Amino acid sequence: MNTQTLDTSTMKPQYPWKKSRPTVVIANSLIVVIPMSVYAFFFFFTDLPGALIFIAIFLPIQIAMAVIMTISALGKRRVGDAVLSVLSVTAFSLVLALLGSVLLSVAARGLPAMRFSFLTQNNIYISPTTELTYGGVGHALLGTLTVVAIGTVVAVPLGIASAIYITDMKGRLAGFVRFIVQAMSGVPSIVAGLFILAAFILTDFVGFSALTGGLAYAILMLPTVARTSEEVLKLVPKELRDAATALGSSRARVIMRIVLPTAKAGIITAVILGVARVVGETAPLLLTTSNTNGTNLNPFKDPVATIPVYIFQFLGSGYESSIQRAWGAAFVLMIVVAILFALTRVFSPKGKAR
Amino acid sequence: MTALQIDPTMKGNQVNISIVEDHQRLKLVDSVAHLETQGLYVWFGNRMILADINLAFPENSVTALIGPSGCGKSTFIRVLNRMHEFIPGAALAGKVFYQGKDIYDKDVDPVDIRTQVGMVFQKPNPFPTMSIKDNVLSGLRLAQIPFSNPDEIVESCLKKASLWNETKDRLNASAQSLSGGQQQRLCIARALAVNPKVLLMDEPCSALDPGSTRHIEETIRDISKDMTVVIVTHNMQQALRVSDYTAFFLALDGNPGQIVEAGLTKDVFKNAKDPRTHDYVNGLFG
Amino acid sequence: MVETQEITNKSHPEPIRLGREKSRTPSDKAFSGTIVIAALSSLAILVAILIYLASSSWPVLQKEGFDFITGSTWINSSANPDEQTFQIWPMLYGTFLNSMLALVIAVPVSILLAIFIVFIAPDRLSRTLTVLVDVLAAIPSGIIGLWGFLVFTPVAEGWSKLLNQYFFLIPFFRNDQDQFARSPFIAGWVLAIMITPIITVVAREVLSQTPQELLDAARGLGGSLWGAVKFVALPHARGGIVGGVMLGLGRALGETIAIYFVLNLIFEKVNYFQILNPQGGAIASMIVAKFGEATPDEIRALLGAGLVLFLMTLIVNLIANWIVARSVREKIA
Repeated sequence: MNTQTLDTSTMKPQYPWKKSRPTVVIANSLIVVIPMSVYAFFFFFTDLPGALIFIAIFLPIQIAMAVIMTISALGKRRVGDAVLSVLSVTAFSLVLALLGSVLLSVAARGLPAMRFSFLTQNNIYISPTTELTYGGVGHALLGTLTVVAIGTVVAVPLGIASAIYITDMKGRLAGFVRFIVQAMSGVPSIVAGLFILAAFILTDFVGFSALTGGLAYAILMLPTVARTSEEVLKLVPKELRDAATALGSSRARVIMRIVLPTAKAGIITAVILGVARVVGETAPLLLTTSNTNGTNLNPFKDPVATIPVYIFQFLGSGYESSIQRAWGAAFVLMIVVAILFALTRVFSPKGKAR
Repeated sequence: MTALQIDPTMKGNQVNISIVEDHQRLKLVDSVAHLETQGLYVWFGNRMILADINLAFPENSVTALIGPSGCGKSTFIRVLNRMHEFIPGAALAGKVFYQGKDIYDKDVDPVDIRTQVGMVFQKPNPFPTMSIKDNVLSGLRLAQIPFSNPDEIVESCLKKASLWNETKDRLNASAQSLSGGQQQRLCIARALAVNPKVLLMDEPCSALDPGSTRHIEETIRDISKDMTVVIVTHNMQQALRVSDYTAFFLALDGNPGQIVEAGLTKDVFKNAKDPRTHDYVNGLFG
Repeated sequence: MVETQEITNKSHPEPIRLGREKSRTPSDKAFSGTIVIAALSSLAILVAILIYLASSSWPVLQKEGFDFITGSTWINSSANPDEQTFQIWPMLYGTFLNSMLALVIAVPVSILLAIFIVFIAPDRLSRTLTVLVDVLAAIPSGIIGLWGFLVFTPVAEGWSKLLNQYFFLIPFFRNDQDQFARSPFIAGWVLAIMITPIITVVAREVLSQTPQELLDAARGLGGSLWGAVKFVALPHARGGIVGGVMLGLGRALGETIAIYFVLNLIFEKVNYFQILNPQGGAIASMIVAKFGEATPDEIRALLGAGLVLFLMTLIVNLIANWIVARSVREKIA
């Protein structure tokens, strides 16, 4: 018997499937280059509008190129793949372009309005001809804060309670409650506003105020908070609950002292998501908080300004300066949304944020 | 025949090999290797799973791959039909020849390989949204192989898979209405419809009842007249019943898997050259 | 000899009943009670919405009868209450038209995007795109409306003019007012932008749950990527995707602000198919438009319109959730 030593350290992992044939590389480049060149030609040397060239010339040529190149390089079998790639890249570019346009417009047109006074002043003495250095969204910012706070105070306990009922108490109606919460998530924001209008304002119970706005917001927040809380509570390991119960804890204690604190980060996420869902909603506020140009510190009486309504108000007025104020307010709102968005990712790195 | 003995005292990248006889591939007199690997090394990430696998599968034969769990047999057969590369982090070195050409060559279309080298998986996976009939034809549709006689194809493949009698009256029923064993036979019929020259089977009977196992083993013996079959199995008796050749894989203590012994089934089982093979086939370790 | 003892019921201790313990302590009872009441609050709210909207608008609904939904007249003179007529058909149809346009644009784009994210894009691009879709979903409708009116409308006007120029033979694209802004076409695009994230997120979730073993089987049989998607992934995801589309539809039906400035509401004439005309309807936008100067009876009518909207979206959402639930159940079965 001869003994040989096979030194396997000289073998290095390789990836033969990643090598591309020159033909395939050329084909892929042509699929991109040729349509773009034709597009460029038509764009610069004719009067045809860009969109038309895109739909009528670029896309068909690209699809044709994809089909031809694929057949010649890889065979007929892969044509489906090629067409799918072209179409899905088009879809994703379209979505990206629109998203980019929205974000860039808000940034570009809203940034110039940013100054300290814009964030702190109200619009009580502002007319369409007032310079932009005067006036701002201070009152609206405060109003939004108040309305959102009221909504949170109402929706969060109810939402968490619903989640507790579904997961920990497994009441007989658990499935039913879940179903109702889901149904509620489809209520349009304007209907929430109409309801509060009909039930509280038209009955003269309360007037247009931050309170009614907060109640309308609460209706919209509740399903989000409840659903996210449910998912989060489900993640708390059963063993934890069992251990606490075995130690003699009453059900209430188990939930309040053990389950909820364990799920704290997730619950916070649920609350933030609820706020994010609702912070830019305009329609319910138009019917409940109405609007004002001054700062109203009383949440229970008299209309209050809010950022979404501010945007609505100034967009509708038509003056150039008003439009700029609207963009400014939009920018502020986007910053708020961005902060909330970042916060959800901070509190739930595992991607619970949706 | 080569028997490779692995010295477990060696550590790290160095593996002691005792060569009992000098032989680098299986050969039965006059038979040409249809499918063979040369110097195959397989990795997941940086971990080497298989080292220096040289195995040749003669045409129209059945080869059983045996060995303890975790020594890389399933990974090995996925290399043979180019499904290994779907796993993130997968890598390999060496050559795999099919009909004389390296299937990992740049010019080769993996999709093409898979129509010629079919696979049946451990857990039956018929397409649940399709009927029995559509399942059988699904391979042809997926591979975009045109056909004009669906009913004949369905009947012939289900017959080959010993499933025709049990399903001929309900070809339009959902595939989910079949039992586990029937579903696996359906998967075999589906794979056969594409008319591959090689069929890879990854422990196809491990989750099935003895009746279905018997049917499937009959099918294997039948189809091996026209195609090369490679079957991974943990069942010694099955290997004895069904295969012409056997290869014994072993991976010791964190070392990559290797072939300890390979040859005619009766030789490997009755006259094992390596004591480890002898121990394994006699159930002394699993 | 073995002595057997008779075991009688008397000597046998009471069996302990296992199962749900009834809470004994008052504090526990109070806790449970509170939770139950809070949980049922959702039901109470939904019922309350129905009741308040219905009862507040009942006088008008009763007077109009079915004409409320099928008629096209709207007269709100408070001077002569008997002459008042409130009918919402143009708005109802317009809502439907806008939503259909939005679906035509959003559904293919969303599904293609979801397929791209799950099956085609490399890992990093996939994750980035998922985040970007979430960002799009987070943009408030008021900002989309602002952008839609000031930035998008001029561009979409250009597209409309092109469509009109080259396809005027098709009745859809005829325009008899030589004005292309604030049309259902543009409203449809804006709604499509709002609902694309909804559909994409659901589709992406469902597609990524395609069982790997089925994809393996498809690839092992010689299928290309498109083959695996077409024969395995899409059929498997069908229920979920339909559910997602219906959720998007529900959102489009109720959207108010995004299209408020982008659509020219004509309350008494229906625009059936000339989507490039600056003439359209949307129930939610109408409510906002008329609210400011509404007479008391008119407010009742608006509440009635809100009731119709509520019922429509409720039904669509219930169907959507049922479809999704059923497709999930089928897979577990």
